[in-house]
Amino acid sequence: MIWEILPLLVWPIVASLVIAGIHAYLGLHVVERGVIFVDLSLAQIASLGATLALLVPSLGGDPHSPAVYWMSLGFTLIGAAIFSLIKGHEARIPQEAIIGISYAVASAAVIVAMSKSTGESEHLKDMLVGNILSVQPDEIIKTGLLYVVIGIFHYVFRKQFLLISTDPKTAAARGMAIRFWDFLFYASFGVVVTRSVAIAGVLLVFCYLIVPSVGAMLFAETIGARLAIGWIMGVIVSMLGMYFSVEFDLPTGATIVCTFGAVLVAMAAVRVMVPRTRAQPV
Amino acid sequence: MRSKIRLLAVSMLAIVAGSRPAAAAVQVVTTTADLGSLAQEIGGDRVTVTALAKGYQDPHFVDPKPSFILAVSRADLLIVIGRELEIGWLPPLISSSRNAKIQPGGKGYLDASMNVKILEIPTGQITRAMGDVHPSGNPHYWLEPDNGRRIAQAIRDKLSELSPADRAYFAQRYSDFNGRLAEAEKRWTAAMAPYKDAKIVTYHRSWPNFMERFGLDVIGYVEPKPGVPPSPTHTLELIAEMKRQGAKLIVVEPYFDLKTAQSIANQVGGQVLVLAPSVGGAKEASDYIKLFDYDVNLLAATLKQVTGK
Repeated sequence: MIWEILPLLVWPIVASLVIAGIHAYLGLHVVERGVIFVDLSLAQIASLGATLALLVPSLGGDPHSPAVYWMSLGFTLIGAAIFSLIKGHEARIPQEAIIGISYAVASAAVIVAMSKSTGESEHLKDMLVGNILSVQPDEIIKTGLLYVVIGIFHYVFRKQFLLISTDPKTAAARGMAIRFWDFLFYASFGVVVTRSVAIAGVLLVFCYLIVPSVGAMLFAETIGARLAIGWIMGVIVSMLGMYFSVEFDLPTGATIVCTFGAVLVAMAAVRVMVPRTRAQPV
Repeated sequence: MRSKIRLLAVSMLAIVAGSRPAAAAVQVVTTTADLGSLAQEIGGDRVTVTALAKGYQDPHFVDPKPSFILAVSRADLLIVIGRELEIGWLPPLISSSRNAKIQPGGKGYLDASMNVKILEIPTGQITRAMGDVHPSGNPHYWLEPDNGRRIAQAIRDKLSELSPADRAYFAQRYSDFNGRLAEAEKRWTAAMAPYKDAKIVTYHRSWPNFMERFGLDVIGYVEPKPGVPPSPTHTLELIAEMKRQGAKLIVVEPYFDLKTAQSIANQVGGQVLVLAPSVGGAKEASDYIKLFDYDVNLLAATLKQVTGK
């Protein structure tokens, strides 16, 4: 390991911890709800908004203009509205199907829109798929603040969010406005995912969201314990992945994704070999 | 007065030379292997050259690795292609490296495109009707021997500025390279002469300088716009245009998919040829002059087949 490189990796490391923090939490909801690919879908819908904004001639095709950001946020909210409306326990069509369709159509629409773009497509790809090695301090500080705000929002309304994710029938029986809370969940989730994907890319964000939650489910039943395991796993895998990336000089994001896979397999092996001491879930 | 200055200069040179323990090599980092090869030609053993992108990689999209940040952070000189070629990956790398010397505009930053011949610079106002237009011109300018010469001159001047004691050494290395390049150019021109004005198609707009230098006529591109995958209408139009003009050769860069190009070639009874757009893009293309040797030989041999000349 070349220790000389450590000061240069401070911001990528901070970024991976910030992303691990909020995604391990949101991942619990996503896995409970069984909407595994919702993040890919929302991120792609946000990309479509950004791409369309670039086509507006008066904006001059500048990918960093505020209009592009607001347009992608607007599309995220539309996506959130769609996902909160289609849900219903009486619905025959699985929600995952709608999510998959949205993903495919939004991805294809980006390609179609890009073919009409006047700017070089490098700009677009650069903007839509971030690279964690290239994060800049101001970017990560702004993102961190945004995540803190959303984290507080989720903490304040944790009872509502958790009940709807884990037990929507009881929530409905209690007369909660499920669609309203669903919309708030998907909207806040979409804002987070859009930012994270711009920093770290789709694959890495997906892993930070789903893998810690799945790994935690192997060992714990309560939300609190799962969250703790998810956070610890997120931090360890980030550090380990960074280390492998430096040691073997591999692209950082992809290396962290593979490390997530390897650590999850190791955790599953431990789970099989070591019998659970507590037979009954709490 | 003049002799005094000379004396002063000589004694300063002696101090500089004396204070340098065994000639500390200038750390040069280049974004592409072509620039790396040219820097090595000029710098010789007074420089250590690291090229970031490999010759078989698309220089528009390079996945940064930790070693890139480390290399840039240690560099005394960073040489870039410029013209927005590296815009997707280089700027964050430069700022992450926290190396003050090589920031754009700094003493250790050299944009190799400043003194070369750039093609396809749009004139007048850019409108959407013009399609995908690159505002500062086509960045694949290194594929022209005279541009290679001008890049080598810029590198010679920059290295002399950074390491004045070696000025004569760099000048000598440049003139040696220039001689070999001029010799090779005669060879290339002769090899390509029979195929002047032959009509060809390329996948991406990587070759305007190369094709103009050797008198070939590029009548179309497999990509409808740079970076956009082929569409059916465009492909059909291209096939019709190739048939009409009798173009039989499609040149493809190693990092693009061959399938579309191959099916177009089948339609017109022509051939697909993969050329190396950069040093290292093929095993034989191991330095700047060998890159042209490789491409020119392959192109001439294939043109001989398809044109029957």
